[in-house]
Amino acid sequence: MKQVDCEDVKRNVHEFLHSELHEDQLEVITAHIANCDSCEEHYDIEIVFNQVIQRSCDEAPAEELAERVMKRLREIQDHD
Amino acid sequence: MPAKRSEKLVSFESQALPLMPQLYGAALRWTRNPSDAEDLVQETFAKAFGAWDKYQQGTNLKAWLFRIMTNTHINLYNKRNKDQAKTALDDLEDWQVGSGESITARTVRSAEAEAMDNLPATIIREALDQIPDEFRMVVYYAVVEGLPYAEIAEIMETPVGTVMSRLHRGKKMLRTLLQDYARQEGYELDGEEAES
Ligand SMILES: [Zn+2]
Repeated sequence: MKQVDCEDVKRNVHEFLHSELHEDQLEVITAHIANCDSCEEHYDIEIVFNQVIQRSCDEAPAEELAERVMKRLREIQDHD
Repeated sequence: MPAKRSEKLVSFESQALPLMPQLYGAALRWTRNPSDAEDLVQETFAKAFGAWDKYQQGTNLKAWLFRIMTNTHINLYNKRNKDQAKTALDDLEDWQVGSGESITARTVRSAEAEAMDNLPATIIREALDQIPDEFRMVVYYAVVEGLPYAEIAEIMETPVGTVMSRLHRGKKMLRTLLQDYARQEGYELDGEEAES
């Protein structure tokens, strides 16, 4: 991957953000983004999108769940 | 009063139970409601405890538990056959999934980011819950848990290439749903003329 166009760069946004690119790809794409407003914007929105998803999924279990699970595990243990 | 705990239970409790919040988060996305999610977490821990002797110390415990959860969910809800890991959607070409990435102007992108950032968490979760299980879980594991593709592939028992395409398509489906919602809420995303 020596030469990339905007389409290539945009297609690789997820691999870029999830650190799944090879080093040479990473280099070429990083260089492209630094000089291309359109691709930079595309990456920015994907970052915001990811943060929004992370935030929305931040839900803690009820406290009783730990007790329920431990009770179940003790039952299993007593059957062993 | 406290029943005595075997060595096995002590080691399981200290290693596996602290991962409960992560398991619950994933269970919520599998089941889409808190009460089923609690059941799934409990079943997953019960299965994992039963198989604790098979867990290889030093390997990735969270991934091991997530994999047990995948199987537990499938067995509990009998939703797919073992060999049906591939869904019909996997066979669709990208253009059929909709919302092609058009080259849009910088200001429009910013408007979309802003709109997205303002959407309530419940709306995001509802949208997530509307996309097919296999896509939703890949998005969840990649975006929320930050797991590498190879690990997600193991958890979901699919090839890495499938993980990659499900992440792309899952995000695309999600984004289309959220764009529709944002437009209904009055955000201008396409640079369309406002009716004023
Ligand atoms: Zn570009």
